[in-house]
Amino acid sequence: MASIGVVPSMLLLLLVGCSARPLYPLPSKMENKNRQPLQTSRPYNVAHRGSNGEIPEETAAAYMRAIEEGADFIETDILASKDGALICFHDVTLDDTTDVEEHKEFADRKRTYDVQGVNTTGYFTVDFTLKELKSLRVKQRYSFRDQQFNGRFQIITFEEFISIALDATRVVGIYPEIKNPVFINQRVKWPGGKRFEDKFVETLKNYGYKGSYMSKDWLKQPVFIQSFAPTSLIYISNQTDLPKIFLIDDVTIPTQDTNQSYWEITSDAYLNFIKEYVVGIGPWKDTVVPVENNYLQTPTDLVARAHACNLQVHPYTYRDESLFLHYNFNQDPYTEYDYWINKIGVDGLFTDFTGSLHKFQQWNSPISPDDEDSSALLRKIALLISNYKKK
Amino acid sequence: MASIGVVPFILLLLLVECSARPLYPLPSKMENKNRQPLQTSRPYNIAHRGSNGEIPEETAAAYMRAIEEGADFIETDILASKDGVLICFHDVTLDDTTDIDEHKEFADRKRTYDVQGINTTGYFTVDFTLKELKSLRVKQRYSFRDQQFNGKFQIITFEEFISIALDATRVVGIYPEIKNPVLINQHVKWPGGKRFEDKFLETLKNYGYKGSYMSKDWLKQPVFIQSFAPTSLIYISNQTDLPKIFLIDDVTIPTQDTNQSYWEITSDAYLNFIKEYVVGIGPWKDTVVPVVNNYLQTPTDLVARAHACNLQVHPYTYRDESLFLHYNFNQDPYTEYDYWINKIGVDGLFTDFTGSLHKFQQWNSPLSPDDEDPSALLRKIALLISKYKKK
Repeated sequence: MASIGVVPSMLLLLLVGCSARPLYPLPSKMENKNRQPLQTSRPYNVAHRGSNGEIPEETAAAYMRAIEEGADFIETDILASKDGALICFHDVTLDDTTDVEEHKEFADRKRTYDVQGVNTTGYFTVDFTLKELKSLRVKQRYSFRDQQFNGRFQIITFEEFISIALDATRVVGIYPEIKNPVFINQRVKWPGGKRFEDKFVETLKNYGYKGSYMSKDWLKQPVFIQSFAPTSLIYISNQTDLPKIFLIDDVTIPTQDTNQSYWEITSDAYLNFIKEYVVGIGPWKDTVVPVENNYLQTPTDLVARAHACNLQVHPYTYRDESLFLHYNFNQDPYTEYDYWINKIGVDGLFTDFTGSLHKFQQWNSPISPDDEDSSALLRKIALLISNYKKK
Repeated sequence: MASIGVVPFILLLLLVECSARPLYPLPSKMENKNRQPLQTSRPYNIAHRGSNGEIPEETAAAYMRAIEEGADFIETDILASKDGVLICFHDVTLDDTTDIDEHKEFADRKRTYDVQGINTTGYFTVDFTLKELKSLRVKQRYSFRDQQFNGKFQIITFEEFISIALDATRVVGIYPEIKNPVLINQHVKWPGGKRFEDKFLETLKNYGYKGSYMSKDWLKQPVFIQSFAPTSLIYISNQTDLPKIFLIDDVTIPTQDTNQSYWEITSDAYLNFIKEYVVGIGPWKDTVVPVVNNYLQTPTDLVARAHACNLQVHPYTYRDESLFLHYNFNQDPYTEYDYWINKIGVDGLFTDFTGSLHKFQQWNSPLSPDDEDPSALLRKIALLISKYKKK
């Protein structure tokens, strides 16, 4: 027995353990005084489900890739597991974006539930514990996108998502959605009579998210809370000042909680009402500018009316693939960004392709770098003037 | 009878006719001393078959659109009609891009010919007179592109194509291909024993195209002559100094006239031989950087070896649609342009999407404007310095 050598090494471990200083601290634990702040000079680049054009949606890798590509905000949909853990996942069912079909141990979990008035069959997240969800692997939703990462990544929790944002080397905002709250509150119960919305806000508070839009606190940890359900947004207004965004679905879909039509919730009266609770709206882009036979029609006045109520407009969702691009854009996603940013004048864009939007913005309205060397500046001026040298 | 008023009127018309001055002169007939010259500071934007991403290929509209979008060169494929007229058309058959199937009067014209070793069935251009070809209407080749212009445009002649370039308000080069010369010379005979290549060159000369690459004459009317058939290029070398480009097909396709393999015509020995006749090569891009399972592999050394022989490289063809974009480009056509221009270092690009390439180049390597207002310049300097004002 090499007991002689074991004792000192155990003492050393004890020492390290007690000092609680990890040998390689996470970025968020380091001095971060000079982190590049959130840009506020041009429309927000909102990484819709992360860079899911390249990597399966709502995974850690997709979010980290989005941050790498320049996202202002990383966006996610929050649902819940059977045991009440808040997870990042878009669909109420696991069928389209995970390998649940290959897990024979869960074969008996298929159910049919009413989801927003539609009978839906599949494997529901609310019927799986977090541990079970973690045994699944995520896959790319669209067959025409890169499939090479299928089966590699897990579903992540709301807390893991927040850590990714907080650990970034620059300030990155989060944009979580209170998703299907009516459905979740029917299926999942939390102790102490707490609701889904309570747990959602609780998580944000635990990680230090606070402050109203553009406040000092908010700029340190930016966040927009989004939802299709107006009662959820109004409910949490009592609990937090954090800015909220009211999502608006297609013209045929009524709100899941108040059963109000598109026409009602986009009326001047309603906008004037909801503006007391939210800082902006998030409409489906093809309702802002209607589309017929894949051609744009005359834009509606929704943006003007929203702006008149001091509401931001963040439409969803912009995608590079030509099957999503209307013919007016000549198969060029940058032409689409140009139109929405410069012609329609939106304040933020949910995009599957963070990199494309970032490049468009950088090439057209670049952020002035903070630490520009003054002699580099003088050199620029000299270059500008040199064209005018006396011959 | 108002004969009194008619006589002065007729005299006026006579006067106008005799002076031979049209009331609205074509742009090319006007003083054109200050036409913006061909840009030569960055890789050439070659409008492959015109802006055929938006408008059916090789039509007047597609070429005018390409010029509007910023093309440096408009590209075309020259074939011949039964009566020996040179036309702009890509396929030897009319089936895929015209409404020939709807013309019952031509139902008996279907034939099967050997085209480059392959038995091909269809309606061949060489079996129709120009008048008959002009009765057809062109349609968009790809079903996923805008179909709204189907049936509106005619096939145009080489001369009409040249007029479009010469009539542009800035200098626009042309990039015509001696297409399928072996087949054309088999099926079409010209008087005086002239060959397809002779008529091709004759047309260029008639319109004043002359001069070697980058000569004063050439810069006024830029042109590249392209062909897959080396003997055609060598044959015309005796008749003109105009720059020529040797096109190279996929690795499995031998040359139609000399039956040489890809490996032979891309060898150092061959490049050293052909460089006496051409200024560059036009390879299929997926042979320059091979592709496996839609991922790029290690680039070949073809560009380096071509450049070592002072040969330009103009690969074909760049398209915006994601079905053509390899996964490395993340569904973003601008990422593809970036890779080929900045990493691989090509000298020109054949693209179906003139506008996208032009925007990429303008946003990244803009042409310095000639007439930049000096006060606008001073304002720019003031803006740059303003950040450093003493607080």
